[in-house]
Amino acid sequence: MSVNIPVTNKISPFLVFYLIHTMQVGVGMLGFQRIIATYAGTDGWISVLLTGVILHILMWMMYKMLAIVDGDIVTVHNYIIGKKATKIVCIPIILYFCLFAISVLRTYIEIIQVWMFQELETFWFALIYLLLVIYIIYGGFRTIVGIAFFSIVLPIYILVLFLFTVPFADFSNLLPIFDHSIGDILKGSRNMTFTVLGFESILLFYPFIKNPKKSHKYAHLAILFTTIVYLYICILTFSYFSENQLQKNTWPTLTMWKIIRLPFVERFEYIGIASWFLLILPIIAISIWGTSRIIKQVYSIRQRRSVLVISLLCLIGICIPTTRSEINMVTDLTAKIGFYFCYIYVPILFVATLIKKKVKKS
Amino acid sequence: MKNSFFKKGGKDKESKDIKDKTSKKENLISMSKDYKKVIYTNEKTNIEFKIEYISSLVDEKIIQKSALPYLLEKEFTKITDIKEILPIAEVEISEDPKQIEERLFTGFVVLTISSNKEKFCFFSAQKEIGRNISVPEVEFSVIGPKEAFVETLEQNLNLIRKRLPVKELIVEETTVGQLSKTKVAIIYLQGVVDDENVNTVKQRINDIKIDQITDSSFIGQIISDNRNSPFPQVLDSERPDRVAAVLSEGKIAVIVDGSPHALIAPTTLIEFFSSFEDYLLNWILASFFRVIRLFAVAFSILVTPLYVATLTYHYELIPQDLLSILITSRRVIPFPPILEVLFLELTIELLREAGARLPTKVGQTIGIVGGIVIGTASVEAGLTSNVLLIFVALAALASFTTPVYRIGNTIRLLRFPFLLLAELWGIIGIALGFSLLLTHLIRLTSLGRPYLEPIYPTRLVDFKDSFIRLPLDAQRKRPLYLRSESPKRMNPKGNKKKDIDE
Repeated sequence: MSVNIPVTNKISPFLVFYLIHTMQVGVGMLGFQRIIATYAGTDGWISVLLTGVILHILMWMMYKMLAIVDGDIVTVHNYIIGKKATKIVCIPIILYFCLFAISVLRTYIEIIQVWMFQELETFWFALIYLLLVIYIIYGGFRTIVGIAFFSIVLPIYILVLFLFTVPFADFSNLLPIFDHSIGDILKGSRNMTFTVLGFESILLFYPFIKNPKKSHKYAHLAILFTTIVYLYICILTFSYFSENQLQKNTWPTLTMWKIIRLPFVERFEYIGIASWFLLILPIIAISIWGTSRIIKQVYSIRQRRSVLVISLLCLIGICIPTTRSEINMVTDLTAKIGFYFCYIYVPILFVATLIKKKVKKS
Repeated sequence: MKNSFFKKGGKDKESKDIKDKTSKKENLISMSKDYKKVIYTNEKTNIEFKIEYISSLVDEKIIQKSALPYLLEKEFTKITDIKEILPIAEVEISEDPKQIEERLFTGFVVLTISSNKEKFCFFSAQKEIGRNISVPEVEFSVIGPKEAFVETLEQNLNLIRKRLPVKELIVEETTVGQLSKTKVAIIYLQGVVDDENVNTVKQRINDIKIDQITDSSFIGQIISDNRNSPFPQVLDSERPDRVAAVLSEGKIAVIVDGSPHALIAPTTLIEFFSSFEDYLLNWILASFFRVIRLFAVAFSILVTPLYVATLTYHYELIPQDLLSILITSRRVIPFPPILEVLFLELTIELLREAGARLPTKVGQTIGIVGGIVIGTASVEAGLTSNVLLIFVALAALASFTTPVYRIGNTIRLLRFPFLLLAELWGIIGIALGFSLLLTHLIRLTSLGRPYLEPIYPTRLVDFKDSFIRLPLDAQRKRPLYLRSESPKRMNPKGNKKKDIDE
């Protein structure tokens, strides 16, 4: 059942940290504060913590499940429902990962259009971006991981720059704590889904890890790091903006960057947006790569070909939504599907794998 | 019957062909003016013998002083006796006529006895013409050894052997090029080097199909992993001390006859920014200079694209006080920033090309004319802003800090795609260019080893000699990416530090 990957193409366990963290931190980070605050208000940071805990449980489930079948999501399906049924069940999964790539890239293009170039042609930018992604994917998985690595290491300085907001922050904004009902906090946590999505990509690249058992702790570390980063930004945002002000900002993170002032640079958000170019690169690359990998395993089509087709589909998908509300619809749809996929389908798969294992044993 | 008849005829024809060919060959050789053929008779045994050589390749003094006196005066009857009477180390007896041509053209003298033409004797009398060892000019260093490779393979090998006088230093030689017959030596330290790397180099060199090799850079280009990359994937050095140092790290050197540059592989990007002088200085100073150099390179590539991006699209990025300076300097300029930058960048490139092609003394004048006259004049004429002039001059200066000439060329080139992308999409374009560059570098390998090591794949131990150079004490292990057979180079430190006042 296991998938055979040559050792030279496998990656060291600790790189899983970068992979998972980079998949989670994308365009969501630029505007998640408002979305969680709609329900949970300034108690939103509790929602972040809660999400973190849930992600840890889900990650643990996925690792357990993948260790049993020793493969990826296709192997899991083969294990449970057999090869023929897998061919059908995998179609929505493929579509989901495509949609994920589309919504991330489309949101990013929208940010550029709103903040920097109103005239930017969605089609041309998406085309060039996807060509770059294809170039990365053709370099193999190691190249993708390399980009993931640099996309975290290089822009890490931005986290420090958030401290520029501290002199203007009023931490009493956070008080009173537990002002909202548990239901609201849970809703806030659910609204955060799009921001933290991406950790499920472990279902795609698990067979590429050299010593998967060793990588388990790095995966959890990645989620922990993501949670800490979001918590940090969340607390700074809630103390920097008042609740009403926050609701008026679609991308509070970008607005916060405006306050950063260095002797040679003003309006830091321009540099921030340019950094995000690199930051979302691995997200798109891994999604498209993963999709082509599923297609290769299920329908045995060469990856070189399927990557081109998927990229074309994504290009079309990116060009369709044009207005803010349409783009919002796409991200909401992605968030919803992602929510059901990660929070409901994955646990079901997990239980099914456990049952199947017991059945096979007896 | 018929068959055998034809066979016989065929055979006859074949042998005739061979005879024709050999006589043709002799004719061809004797067409050259420097082909010499002399017949002598031994005084004691009265045996007649003939010597043939190419006078331009052979040192006639050797023939006159160490060959002819013995051949004429000492007793010898058979060709095999010559080995004993000649005081020359390289004397060979052979029956293979095919070898004659090859030996003649590598500086051997061919001797045949008139009575027995089946056997030949070769002895070496090569003429050694070459320049003397001189001071390194491309990789100059203020302190440290002052010798550089020359064009003769033997002399270069001698320079390396002197620095590594151990039997583990293996020198393997092959010939490349159907016409040039260039000698190529592959050098490595057995027991230190990774055999896989050696095999890769050997295989790639043996696979070379080319008629002529003039310089080691030919080999360097052909054995590169990705020939379509502007980045050099083998390091070339003219310093024997550097070559000896990297050999002991476990790398492989390739020396080509007729080229004063040794090729070193596998290599990494970082290595191109390390000068050999870094190892001769105290580690704090060395690390400081290295960091400055890397910063200079980043500056050199990015400064003019950033200028174009900010002045074309993002004025908001610049603080108010700085903006007023920029506006004042650009007030009278009729061109958009991209044209202004391209104009100045191309001027600098022109100066550089002109300076490189002209003799040294004229080259200096060009530098002064270009730097001072054109620069100031174009600012005064209002073609470019003086702020940009400062940036371009600084960028050019910064790109000269690279210790390896080849990577300097790459940096010169890289600036232009960045400029175009900056004109297209401002800093987003620069981010695109950077991502492309990064992907390219991640994909690049040198002899199959990752080019960006130790940054990615991350190997923290190898950072000891990358952006910074830690003290020699910390360099007890060979770099990890070379997969050396003996990773340790020195024994761990034994003595504990003494306590105060002990």
